[in-house]
Amino acid sequence: MWLLAALAPMHPAAESQGEDVESLRRIVSGDQGAAAVLYDRHARPLYSLILRILGDEGEAEDVLQEVFVQAFRQAGRYDASRGAVAAWLLMMARSRAIDRLRARRSRVEGRTGEVQVLNDLPDAQPDVASALLDEEQARLVREALAELPLLQRLAIELAYYEGLSHTEIATRLEQPLGTVKTRIRLGLLKLRDVLAEGQA
Amino acid sequence: MSMHEELKANAAGYVLGSLDANDRQEFEAHLAGCAECAAEVASLRPVVSVLATTVPQVTPRAEVRDRILGVAAGLKPSSAGAGPPAPRRLYALHDRKAPPALVWLPLAAAIVIAVGAGIYALRLQRQVGALQARFDQAQSTTAVLAAPDLARIDLQGQAVAPDARARALWSRSRGLVFTAANLPPAPAGKTYQVWVVTAQMPISAGLLTTDPAGGGTQYYMTPPDIAPPVAVAVTLEPSGGVPSPMGERYLVGMP
Repeated sequence: MWLLAALAPMHPAAESQGEDVESLRRIVSGDQGAAAVLYDRHARPLYSLILRILGDEGEAEDVLQEVFVQAFRQAGRYDASRGAVAAWLLMMARSRAIDRLRARRSRVEGRTGEVQVLNDLPDAQPDVASALLDEEQARLVREALAELPLLQRLAIELAYYEGLSHTEIATRLEQPLGTVKTRIRLGLLKLRDVLAEGQA
Repeated sequence: MSMHEELKANAAGYVLGSLDANDRQEFEAHLAGCAECAAEVASLRPVVSVLATTVPQVTPRAEVRDRILGVAAGLKPSSAGAGPPAPRRLYALHDRKAPPALVWLPLAAAIVIAVGAGIYALRLQRQVGALQARFDQAQSTTAVLAAPDLARIDLQGQAVAPDARARALWSRSRGLVFTAANLPPAPAGKTYQVWVVTAQMPISAGLLTTDPAGGGTQYYMTPPDIAPPVAVAVTLEPSGGVPSPMGERYLVGMP
């Protein structure tokens, strides 16, 4: 059933996807107004995610700029078959914010720490999510996330918003590695089921 | 657990991007030939994408828009060719006349105050999060102590720590509260780990952090379908803990 949920077309998102693709096309053809349109549609969710990860407004503004500049530059290389424009932008935002967070951490830990962090880097750019959810689905997941057992929620948040690896999460939460893996899995499966129910 | 089951457990971490490098390579190799794991990965992607949008929504400052679109105006479009003449640079900052100090001084002060308030709010939010975690822990502990199916297991210090004492209070439905005293400080790189030993195997309850006096109290969730414990034990293990006990036993108790 969840497979149906994952594959079902998401109509409101599909509509804005069409407009986003059009904006990217116009940016490639040199239309400055299209850059402003793309900014106005996405700046708020992107900035919010970056700020959640970095916790510093000045740094978040810098990263937001990097993301948009990258998007404007690479507009011609955007491939719709790999995911929605919104998901593409969010993926870039998370990835750049996490990179900066790691750089900040390794500065604090000093040179030896830096080498360690680099060796332990988990996948910085997992594939883009294929579809974004509509507001109602997002609300369901948000509520379900808040209701997860504390350790499941913390483990998922440390992984997603702080870019920690399972080993790092195990150390931070003082839990065995296997337990962390299990908690992350149970948490995400629960969220997935909530999503599937919401669509049934 | 079969090899496949063990690898499938990594699908969630793979989608979150949190697998350690070795695990990720192993999982990717497996994923290429396993339809079931590929389906699990596909089903979890929309969930992870929602994590990006469930954060509190904040609008960036208007100046940021001007700055970014100003930079955009200076970028060359990636497709070359004889297009129309370049449009006017609408948003470039230096096109503007500098406003007089009378305008920007109060504005600057307002921005400084707003940023300060924002940072303060963020700090408060973190403190609230930390307090919430402690509160949850306390609440779980109380729930166990009041459980109708409460079982008590006293643990005795073993040869390495004859003075150590501990008590485990366990409820199948509500979890485990563990209190220890007189444990020697764990050496650097080591940690105490609490085990619930069933007839089949020892199950890790979690790690135990002790205070300088060697005491510690911790709440652990336990699986509701766990077999009845035949013992509870504490061992000394490498930092981060291990999946099954290997280190020396410090405390052991039977119901």
